[in-house]
Amino acid sequence: MKPVQLFCWHFMAYPYLDKDFDEKEYTGWVTVPNRLWDNGKTRGLYQEYIDQLAYADDLGFDGMVLNEHHQNIYGLMPSPNLIAAALSQRTSRGKIVILGNLLPLHLNPMRVAEEYAMLDQMSDGRLIAGFAPGGGPETFNYDVPSANTREKFWEAADLIVRSWTEDGPFAHEGRYFPLRYVNLWPKPLQKPFPPVWIPGSRSPSTMTEVAKRGYCYFLSSRSHGGETHRAQQEFAAVLEKHGDKYHPFRFGILMSTYVGETDRQAREECEEGVWYFLKNCLKGHLRREGRQLTYGPGIPYIPAAAWREYLKSYKPGRKLLGDVENWDELDASQSIIVGSPETVTRRIQNLIEKAKVGNLLIQFQLGNMPNHLARKSMKLFAEKVAPALRHDSFTYFDKEYPGVTLERSMEAVH
Amino acid sequence: MSGRIIEVNQRKVQVLERGSGAPLLYLHGFADVHSVKENWLPFHEKLTERSRVIAPAHPGCAGTDENKDIENVEDVVFHYLEVLDALKLVQFDLVGSCVGGWIAAEFAVRHPEKIRNLVLIGAPGLFVEGALIGDVFMMAQPEYGSSYASLREMLFAGCDQVNALDMFPDGKGELEDEVRRYQMLRLSSRIGFKPPYFYNYSLRNRLHRVTSPTLVLWGEKDNFVPRSHGETYAKRIPGAELTIVHGAGHSAHVERPEETARLILEFLSR
Repeated sequence: MKPVQLFCWHFMAYPYLDKDFDEKEYTGWVTVPNRLWDNGKTRGLYQEYIDQLAYADDLGFDGMVLNEHHQNIYGLMPSPNLIAAALSQRTSRGKIVILGNLLPLHLNPMRVAEEYAMLDQMSDGRLIAGFAPGGGPETFNYDVPSANTREKFWEAADLIVRSWTEDGPFAHEGRYFPLRYVNLWPKPLQKPFPPVWIPGSRSPSTMTEVAKRGYCYFLSSRSHGGETHRAQQEFAAVLEKHGDKYHPFRFGILMSTYVGETDRQAREECEEGVWYFLKNCLKGHLRREGRQLTYGPGIPYIPAAAWREYLKSYKPGRKLLGDVENWDELDASQSIIVGSPETVTRRIQNLIEKAKVGNLLIQFQLGNMPNHLARKSMKLFAEKVAPALRHDSFTYFDKEYPGVTLERSMEAVH
Repeated sequence: MSGRIIEVNQRKVQVLERGSGAPLLYLHGFADVHSVKENWLPFHEKLTERSRVIAPAHPGCAGTDENKDIENVEDVVFHYLEVLDALKLVQFDLVGSCVGGWIAAEFAVRHPEKIRNLVLIGAPGLFVEGALIGDVFMMAQPEYGSSYASLREMLFAGCDQVNALDMFPDGKGELEDEVRRYQMLRLSSRIGFKPPYFYNYSLRNRLHRVTSPTLVLWGEKDNFVPRSHGETYAKRIPGAELTIVHGAGHSAHVERPEETARLILEFLSR
């Protein structure tokens, strides 16, 4: 057994919007006008963000997390692989998690196989390879038809893993990506292949496909009420059905936190960044204001029968995370945990035990949070929160999952 | 479920049929039977006064089985060749609205001999430079949590029209209507949501192959398929004429059912 794995996730938000952005602009995604990009201010921004991730490595986080977004202020990483390449040379300990490359957006999945293999070599076997199908906004970014996204996604993911594990050249006779000479140079370093993580939003079919392949399931929800626990139970049941056993390192969640010296100081320091994140970065994604691109019939990627089920419980106009109106509502959503080291420790411990989750992917930098505050919060977390979480989770997991060996976990084994 | 189910190449196809007289194959669009409503609209009922109207639901729509191998409009044309065999339809009038109009045009350039008369209503399918077809998929994503006003604005002359609100209400509509809307978007995503967006570049250079008399109907204020597309159809199909339905948007058959049906009936009676 091992303790909870603590990762630092950076989204690389665009932090220079004017205060009246929400009032003036319809959305923060896809069509957010790029005249708002201010080159006078953005010099050094990527450096600052990369430095924060390298700092996470110095502080002893178990890894750094990146992901792919296009045309928005939420995340300035159309190519997370570029940032991963930089991190591979700036850091030496932590995993580099890319969660993930959006496979249906790539003309040829071999490009992902090649770049991930390069990154695994460049980082000396520290890559955790995430594959994601892309959501609503990405559908519009790259004009990816939705109906066959899932089929395309799994064909691409399977081809990539096959190219990592099977000697080439071989011909791939696939429906969407037929290729005559699959013959990967370089190969990834980790054997049999880098750990694979797949994000999902509780759809049974994704859980099933993940279980079949022995991968790690990552819940892409940003709020952690009862649904996180339910997702864990559902995934455990699916694993059981496939002759596999759940343990906490098969599962990961995304959360955000800000740690300050006291509860009050924490809130005061992070509030501006938090509201910037909620009202600007989530506009178009997890807000009702403007046009909401993440859920809706315009991206019909699930079969009609599944849509019918979804509609039965769907409440039009329901509040999404970015619609919270005050701090108490935000607090109740368990999405952004803010407070003193003691408060944050207690709340995250509670979350770990409820959701039986072994991989916490934690966002520290929120919206336009200044560099020094993001770093201070990371440091407080590493020094005053992480040790207790590690200690207690180790004991808890050891008690709850006796006899679970991690041989089928996605640990690097080189 | 209304109508009947026929078996076509091991797949179920839902077909509505009413009326007697010359066979008329109707291919549906977004605001239509099978894609919202379970049953005939007043427009179709008007057509049954003269014709035996046969309206199959597209693959994956209403009670018709989904076909995951459908990747482009060509695959839909082949699907309809099989449907016609199953229905034993050799020659017929072909009326298509919206996406159904595109399928009809693609069908007509390949099998002109099967078509007695062709009617296209607000049909996408063509590349017309400088006249982008609207993004119906983005408009189908709700605004302000539950508003579909901009979708109605695209598919109708005005978003507050009663007929528009009836077909695409805000919030959550009747469950099975919602599912049919979704199914139609899903089929359309297979054939129309990718570059090229709702068109087949080659189609306009094939339109001269149409041999039947052709009527091109366009709503006066079509916010989905610009009128220049109608003009291009009319110009490139030999002998075709463009008629504007005044006061209507993209869904003339819903917004001006009497007039649209009358124009078609007059055309068919020539």
